Amino acid sequence: MGRNAEIKRFDSTPGGQPMDLFQAKEGRLPVIIELLRSPWIIRASELSMPEDTGTGKRLNAPVAVAWDERRCCPSAFEFNGRTYRVDAIVQVWAVERRWWTPRRVSRRYWRVLARGGTYDLAYDRLRKCWILAGIVD
Amino acid sequence: MNEGFAHLHVHSRFSFMDGAADLDSLVQRAGDLGMNALALTDHQGLYGAVRFYRKANAAGIKPVIGAEVVIEAVGIPGEESDLPPEKRLLLPASVGFGRAAGRGFHLTLLARDITGYRNLCRLISRAHVRSRNEPSVVTLQELARASAGLIGLSGCPHGEAGAAVRAGRLQRARTALERLAQCFAPGDFYVELMHLFASDSPRYVAGLVSLADSLGLPVVATNDVHYVHADDFRIHDVLSSAGAKMHLPGPYDRSNGELYLKSGAEMRRLFAGLSRACDATLTIAERCILDLELGGFHFPAAEIPPGETPYSVLSKLAWHGLEERYRPVTPEAVRRLQHELSVIQDLGFPEYFLVVKEIVDFAEEQGIRFSGRGSAGDSIVTYVLGITDADPVAYDLLFERFLNPARRQMPDIDVDFDSARRDEVIDFIYRRFGHEHVAMVATVNTMTARSAVRTAARALGFSANEVNALSRHLPWASASHLREVLETYPECADHPLKDPSRALVVELAEELDGCPMHLGTHLGGFIITREPIDTWTPLQWAAKGVVVSQYDKDDIEALGLVKMDVLGLRMHSAISDTVAMARKRVGEETVPEPFGLAKDDPRVYQMIANADTIGMFQLESSGQRNLNTRLAATRFDDIIAAISLFRPGPLEAEMITPFIRRRHGIEPVSVPHPAMREILRDSYGVIIYQEQVLLVAQAIAGFDLAEADSLRRAMTKDRSREEMESIRVHFIERAVDRGVDFRVAEEVFRQLEGFAAYGFNKAHAACFAVVSYASAWLRTYFPAEFAAAILNNEPMGFYSPRLIVNDARRHGLDIRPPHVNESSAGYTIESDGRAIRVGLKDVHDITQRLLSAIECERGVRRFRDLADFLRRTRAEVQAAEALVRVGALDGLGITEEGRPPTRDEMLALLPELKAVLAREGSAGDDVLCLAPSPTQPAEDPGHISGWSTARRLSAELELLGLSLTCHPLELARDDLDLRGVTYASELHGLRDHTKVRVCGVRERAQTPRTRSGRRTCFLTLEDATGLLDVVVFEDVLGRVGDVVVKHRAYLVDGMLQNNSERGLAIIAEDVRPYTARSTAGEPIRMRRGVRAGPMGPSLGGPGAPEEESWSIAEGQAAYDARGDLKSKR
Repeated sequence: MGRNAEIKRFDSTPGGQPMDLFQAKEGRLPVIIELLRSPWIIRASELSMPEDTGTGKRLNAPVAVAWDERRCCPSAFEFNGRTYRVDAIVQVWAVERRWWTPRRVSRRYWRVLARGGTYDLAYDRLRKCWILAGIVD
Repeated sequence: MNEGFAHLHVHSRFSFMDGAADLDSLVQRAGDLGMNALALTDHQGLYGAVRFYRKANAAGIKPVIGAEVVIEAVGIPGEESDLPPEKRLLLPASVGFGRAAGRGFHLTLLARDITGYRNLCRLISRAHVRSRNEPSVVTLQELARASAGLIGLSGCPHGEAGAAVRAGRLQRARTALERLAQCFAPGDFYVELMHLFASDSPRYVAGLVSLADSLGLPVVATNDVHYVHADDFRIHDVLSSAGAKMHLPGPYDRSNGELYLKSGAEMRRLFAGLSRACDATLTIAERCILDLELGGFHFPAAEIPPGETPYSVLSKLAWHGLEERYRPVTPEAVRRLQHELSVIQDLGFPEYFLVVKEIVDFAEEQGIRFSGRGSAGDSIVTYVLGITDADPVAYDLLFERFLNPARRQMPDIDVDFDSARRDEVIDFIYRRFGHEHVAMVATVNTMTARSAVRTAARALGFSANEVNALSRHLPWASASHLREVLETYPECADHPLKDPSRALVVELAEELDGCPMHLGTHLGGFIITREPIDTWTPLQWAAKGVVVSQYDKDDIEALGLVKMDVLGLRMHSAISDTVAMARKRVGEETVPEPFGLAKDDPRVYQMIANADTIGMFQLESSGQRNLNTRLAATRFDDIIAAISLFRPGPLEAEMITPFIRRRHGIEPVSVPHPAMREILRDSYGVIIYQEQVLLVAQAIAGFDLAEADSLRRAMTKDRSREEMESIRVHFIERAVDRGVDFRVAEEVFRQLEGFAAYGFNKAHAACFAVVSYASAWLRTYFPAEFAAAILNNEPMGFYSPRLIVNDARRHGLDIRPPHVNESSAGYTIESDGRAIRVGLKDVHDITQRLLSAIECERGVRRFRDLADFLRRTRAEVQAAEALVRVGALDGLGITEEGRPPTRDEMLALLPELKAVLAREGSAGDDVLCLAPSPTQPAEDPGHISGWSTARRLSAELELLGLSLTCHPLELARDDLDLRGVTYASELHGLRDHTKVRVCGVRERAQTPRTRSGRRTCFLTLEDATGLLDVVVFEDVLGRVGDVVVKHRAYLVDGMLQNNSERGLAIIAEDVRPYTARSTAGEPIRMRRGVRAGPMGPSLGGPGAPEEESWSIAEGQAAYDARGDLKSKR
């Protein structure tokens, strides 16, 4: 058990208490979206406010994105050989930085919920390509 | 889905350096987006409000006038004082420009109606002019008192509520909203929501909505618009960075470029769950029903005795004046006065004339010289009231050109006052009408190529030296033409902006073209109102320390307010000074009032015809002198013609050549219709004057003069081909109806069309000609006094003081150097008008204190020597050194050798004397004898100064900017003779088309606009014998442009033009720099040193090099000299 064995042995779910607050994905999603959009909650990843992406674990991986013409937002993306269907758009924002330098950034971000995780997809307006800019929380 | 939306928070370029939206584009875009209303809410003022109001109305968009003001914090003082700084709610950066800048939280105010507009003007004015030193911040108390008619929006994220929400201080935000809402009538305060498409925007909006809901306040969506199109964010970033004196990204470090004028659909998508916030924009726009009532007139109150009306008073004054001006009174004058008075009465302008009359009457009483100018000279009323001095009947001036009964426009009477005493007139205006009713008119200074480059370069982080280098040598041109200027202007041949790495600077600078930079003060425009002025226009402090309106003259005119131009004319001061000096010398009665002279003195006209006109008002420029010789004036009408012909319009239309050719009988005078012969008699069939356009239209097409003036105005403006065609058809139809042949009517219209836009206002020229004649008469009969007066009133006129002095010397006047025992502060006359003594005020480094001390001590007794001078005046070392070097102490004191000390000896002794004075409080009178310092032997023992001529001259040019000893090229005469140079005085005797080589020091270089669009440089050079007018055409300018720009003395090879048709000039074929050398091999200074300032060359001082690149000049001159000498041998 290694160190802190006592803590690890502690049973946090005494008998009779349900194991999970949400029994199904459908029930969990609205609550997550509500929480993510809530003005009152600040996520840990947002405390540092990195310059470009705003939040989370930063990536810069190219991804293939399926675009929903009707709703004007991504509907799915492929990452590491898996397809992630976008369950909900949490937030959209734009970034335009350092335009006077060669390191210019001009992107539009979609924070999406997919497969139970939160992902930041960005369309790079200079390179005309999609990237997975971050995996949040 | 309803996509209606009205932007209610919009900054234009009038947010000075924090807004990139051009008003025209803004209105156009709003129209394109189908918006029915649009607000303008610039920082801290209504600078662009009137023009926005007019443009929006013209485009069918409802204008909502407002401002984003800075307001004091609502939070209780001291509440946060115990918190550590990082926990306090920080005030946003200062906004507003110059003296209107303020630091505090932002609040958006919109004028609901005229009451709201007046309150907004008053609120802004109070914030700005409450005190000279306090920052411009609106207090809550003032807001609460003046909120009637205003709608308040809680502001952007820099508003107190917004800033508090962003900082997570919700209670503070709540308090702010509560207290701000209390300042407004119920329903007039909205919580402003801005979704700026940043990562924290949803949270910001949600926070404010929640607070608004809990307080029961309505919400409204805005976008903090700072530019029109999405791509314009770069210019906004550049402006805000440069405005805050920071590098990019600037003070706000914005995360994106979303502050553009978004469509209603975009805004509603941003506020998808909050359609009530978007609907509120429409409700507010609907509630705003401001009508500025443009087109009305609002005159200040003239003094009207009981039982009288403004018209009755004006009428009495005018008829009385008629008797004074016309002896005998002629039926023509009576008829005109009756007509003008009735028109003035019909238009409702009598009070305006009475106000102007009051002001000029004050000047008259105080003996302040003045003269009316402009189209006001077309009126007999202004003439008989004593406002103007040119008789409109005698000179065929037409009232309709001044006041057109068909166009109810505010009359504009401009009056020039003696600039030395203009402040007395201004004081009178403030006293007479009250400080609450008078303010100065603003000007909006916009970016040209040079300032745009500087702004862009600063924002991009270039160092001060790099910014200077990038903006140097750029001509005065529009920034939108920067690329073209760089490619085509010879002086920009090797400009650093052409470096590809500077492409972004050029690109941004071009986009900055015409952007307002800051508010300036009109030279002499005053607004005078009947009601308190801050109910009409917002006021603020100008940089000059005067209270200025936030509106410019066009806005003031649109509002129907009275603008009086109280302009200062230094020529009036010079004329007054000349008359005073002359009367002092020859007696009061001998010198008549120059404005009242009969204008028929042949000596005066001869002098003008000889182009001997330096210093004469409006007749002295190089082009004007050339015209004077060609015109050979013999009467007053010729002076009017000379002034009118040498103007941009007539020059561009090339009217001079046919005028001169016809005047001298080289070509016949021809007019298309006999009725025009009499009208154009004085101008030999050429249409020069605007008044002639009216008369021709009257004679040929039977227009009345008001219609004819409307026609002239219509032809002057840019018209479409269709509009011009309809004017043409109308004119020809009317002419043909009167029996004029169709082809003749066509030809007349063609001429009118060609000249209407270029003609000059004869009344304006006639008013100026009165002053010109007076100055010419004084120069003819009192040349010393006139030159001294000009020099005492510098800067004025076309030429530098150096040239005025050289010209006086060429006319046989003795120019005496400044001397502590002889000179006053200014220039004075000696030897019964045969000599001019240079004043001490122009000596570099001399202070007002020292000037007073010298005059005061000399009143006790004359200075004996340097020690005596230093002891009694306590002169500073630099000033004393400058005085010694220019010879102001020559001849004072005595050395052991029984002669006065040389300048070198005095300079060597100066530190010792100052040290003795500092130590002991006084220095013995015989210090010079007791402690002579060893110095080098005198260069010129024959001269009292011991200095050579070249050294004396160099010191004079360096410290006075004048060449008193001689002209610098006089010293290079041997070298110039060797080079085969022809002197200015010899040119008259040479034949047309002679090849000549001349050498001169540059006085002026002008490149006026020509009709062909080609660049021609007119160089005015001076050699020891006179002025040389050199024309450098574009092909040559391409080769020698950089020489012209970078050097100041040139050798010019060219072809002499010397004929009566074109006058005297040298057509340059080659221009090379020239450096004259003294016998010691040192370059001889040609003019005062020029230091390179941030905006290009600036005035130099002691030690400033004369040339920026002397070494290059020397190299080229040496090469040329060798070549020349070789060929001569």
